[in-house]
Amino acid sequence: MTPECSRVMDCLGEALPPELTKHVASCEDCQVVTGGFDLLGGPSHATASTLPTASASSEDDEQTLPGHDTARRFALETLAKQPMARPWWHGLALLVGVHAAMVGVGLTLLSRRGGWVGNASPPGLVVGVGVVILALLGAGAFVALSPRRRVVPWAGVLAFAGALGVTVVLTGSGQQGRALLAGVLGCAGTELAVTVVPLAVTLALLSRSAYHPARALAAGLSAGSVSLLVLHVHCPDGTAAHLLWGHVVPWLGLAGIAVLLRSLLPTRSYAP
Amino acid sequence: MKPASAPVRTGDDSVRTSVAPESDEVLMARFCEGQAPAFDALFQRHSRQVRGYLTRLTGSASTAEDLVQLTFMSLVRSRGRFQVGSRFKPWLYAIATNAARDSQRRGRRTEELTAEGELPTGIADESPAPRDVGLERAVRQALDMLPEGQRIPILLHRFEGMGFAEIADTLGLTESAVKVRAHRGYERLRELLATLRTETLE
Repeated sequence: MTPECSRVMDCLGEALPPELTKHVASCEDCQVVTGGFDLLGGPSHATASTLPTASASSEDDEQTLPGHDTARRFALETLAKQPMARPWWHGLALLVGVHAAMVGVGLTLLSRRGGWVGNASPPGLVVGVGVVILALLGAGAFVALSPRRRVVPWAGVLAFAGALGVTVVLTGSGQQGRALLAGVLGCAGTELAVTVVPLAVTLALLSRSAYHPARALAAGLSAGSVSLLVLHVHCPDGTAAHLLWGHVVPWLGLAGIAVLLRSLLPTRSYAP
Repeated sequence: MKPASAPVRTGDDSVRTSVAPESDEVLMARFCEGQAPAFDALFQRHSRQVRGYLTRLTGSASTAEDLVQLTFMSLVRSRGRFQVGSRFKPWLYAIATNAARDSQRRGRRTEELTAEGELPTGIADESPAPRDVGLERAVRQALDMLPEGQRIPILLHRFEGMGFAEIADTLGLTESAVKVRAHRGYERLRELLATLRTETLE
């Protein structure tokens, strides 16, 4: 599409300036577009005078808008309960607060059996990977709840999740603890238990805006990061197989469950 | 989602804005501060256009009626998500589009077009007679055959009089992406209409 073609599209429905008229005469693409646009005008004889405008009298509007009373009553009830609009970031602050609290609760409960930090990797590596998990936790929550970005790229979310998963598996200490199956089941169960509350709050907040699968995935990854972080700090088992099947796969599975549950839950608001 | 009978893009919002004492954005700001009359003004200013858009998008007048209510209830519930400095109309149409998509996703369709592609009897037709019913049906069928990614930009552009920047805002796409989709859609429509009209004449 040339710049002239783009200008022609901007001017569809209006009188074209001479230079664009000349362009249309010589451009097959523009002839097709203007032809398609004009054809759509054929079936209706409505004109500007028949389209509703803000100048229509309120009396007329009241008669022709059957849903007005319901919507108005709902607006008044909502305003009576909460006169001032609550900014979207209140939800974000609540979610991050819940995530942080659950990290604290999870580590405190697990520390009763063998201290806070069980990861035998070098401290710098433990902290570094922990910071990356925390970054995903915050970024995922932001992406899920922020109204600023309408379209969340699948590729970006999947790439970040994949990179973090690989990082967690490859930076393990290599230290073997329990047998593989027992260790995997233990950590997967812990991951599920620690994620229940963050996931529930996440789903409740997600239902306050329109359903977007990529957003739901980002939110699920963020909620699952709570338990991923707890296990990363506490779990002494550092073999790649244990980290893959006991930490990363359950984390990804929980994110998938978040998408599924959000798609099934009713939507309270369709705002972007 | 299927299209229904359509009014026409006028490309003239100046009538509305010159008469309206306050912009949509000012009214929305007032509503966010708790003023109910601002909501009334927004509802009366936009509800009929939104209903028309949803009727064309879903192909069902009664579904559109329900979705208009859901759209404005969403507006009330999520007024805190409206970004100061952004435009109101694209935001409202984004809500309406999301509501229609969700309705389609959940299979909540109470009324369908007839096999001939017309609205069922008993639904008020707002466009004045006389009409070229055959051509109207062909246009509906042609629009129905477009993929959603092309149909929504065309409905918003041709019938709601929105510019490509506003449509981009509504759909969360770039302006050039919307133009490409509309371009392909108009191109495809012309082909489809030519075929459908030929079939009708035969």
